[in-house]
Amino acid sequence: MNKRNFGVVSGLVAGVKRIHFIPHNNGKYTMRAIILNGGGHDDVDLLNIQNLICDELGGMGWEYEPLVLHKIRFASCMGGFGCFVKQPGVCTIKDRGRDIARAFINSDMVILLSPVTFGGYSALLKKALERLIGLTSPFIIETKGEFQHKKRYQKYPALAAIGVLDKEDEEARHIFKTLVSRNALNILSPSSASEVIIRNEDMEVAMAKIRGIFSMAGGK
Amino acid sequence: MRRVLFLIGSQKPKPSESTSASLANYLVRQLESRNCVTQTMFITSNSLKDNRVEEFLSTIDNADIIVLASPMYVDSLPYQVIAALEIIANHRNSLASRPDQVFMCVINGAIPGPHRFDTVLAICRKFCAEVGFEWIGGLALGGGEAIGGKPLDDLKFVARNVRKSLILTAEDIANGKPISQRAITLMEKPPIPVFIYRLIAELHFRKRAIQNNVYRNMGDSPYQ
Ligand SMILES: Cc1cc2nc3c(=O)[nH]c(=O)nc-3n(C[C@H](O)[C@H](O)[C@H](O)COP(=O)(O)O)c2cc1C
Repeated sequence: MNKRNFGVVSGLVAGVKRIHFIPHNNGKYTMRAIILNGGGHDDVDLLNIQNLICDELGGMGWEYEPLVLHKIRFASCMGGFGCFVKQPGVCTIKDRGRDIARAFINSDMVILLSPVTFGGYSALLKKALERLIGLTSPFIIETKGEFQHKKRYQKYPALAAIGVLDKEDEEARHIFKTLVSRNALNILSPSSASEVIIRNEDMEVAMAKIRGIFSMAGGK
Repeated sequence: MRRVLFLIGSQKPKPSESTSASLANYLVRQLESRNCVTQTMFITSNSLKDNRVEEFLSTIDNADIIVLASPMYVDSLPYQVIAALEIIANHRNSLASRPDQVFMCVINGAIPGPHRFDTVLAICRKFCAEVGFEWIGGLALGGGEAIGGKPLDDLKFVARNVRKSLILTAEDIANGKPISQRAITLMEKPPIPVFIYRLIAELHFRKRAIQNNVYRNMGDSPYQ
């Protein structure tokens, strides 16, 4: 597998904090992505799909880092808005959740990978997403009839999501896709795309879906 | 006597600040005056610890009606609530015969606008379909921080539609009916005009930042 790490998230593995992306590629800007894998311990299918995603990103010349969430110890959001009013932009819980937020905002594209659970994400992926609200401002603005948080950062990553279902389920697919597009508004992503892969689906079909969402989400 | 179990999904450290708890408490009183017995449980990391899961599941099994009162987090249910629903689903799907039970939810979010809740309500409905609970409907309240954990009776004008909605809901539950459209529509009404709500919310965050000596840092972007 053509895997290349980039600084920020490598810090997750090494336990090093405050490493920033180091542009290599002879000074040319390299696109960066993280994969938030919300699969359970024994979810081999999701790991296989993660590998396909990594292969595709590598082929596109991106730097990427898969974050297998069940291997990362982090607490859940306590809902007290400390990330708005105590240490603005930083979650008050000092753990790896902070590193996930840092990696998220320093990416050009974030890929959510999750079993589809009642149409939504697995609890594990949801736990990680909730640690990200400090990436936005507490203040709300209205754009095109939608209320949104104001930006805290100039640039936010594109959002691509892959849900994995045991068998075809039109309702679950619809809920999942709607959820991702709503999340894109919530997390201030400039673009988003999502797909659902069925567990026993042909590799080629799965790969075509992955390519499809990458070209739609863009991450530019 | 109908047994109604309230599951409260607020993750706030102080339950006294939870809007979900305010909504649930009001509905509890309405139901208790209509011949229902109620029990309330907060869904926290503690209530789902391995050694308490059995107790959690037997509480679920013993209810006729389950009411989930929860905040919306990132367009869906909070992590702990999804984790609880996953546990319930595994349990129910392993039973040879599942007891007939009814489920409804009252969801609130900080940001105004009722259509924002379509996805979270669809997730709750889908959960019911997957585990064999009868779905009787969902109420959604935008601008929920206007309640901010206060008892609804203390909020006079602000909570008037919320109270009316919950009274109708209690009647529906007590009579074994689905939640009426009238109750849903009343809950969707913003407790206060949206522009005032936004102003108050902004002042609230600014005040808390001042108290914590970080007012100047409110717009910081520490990771870029
Ligand atoms: C991590 C997190 C995510 C949130 N996401 C949303 C959201 O997507 N939409 C919304 O309207 N409110 C959102 N909120 C705000 C809560 O739903 C709101 O504060 C609610 O009133 C809290 O209910 P409670 O007092 O019962 O905990 C979020 C809050 C937190 C902490």
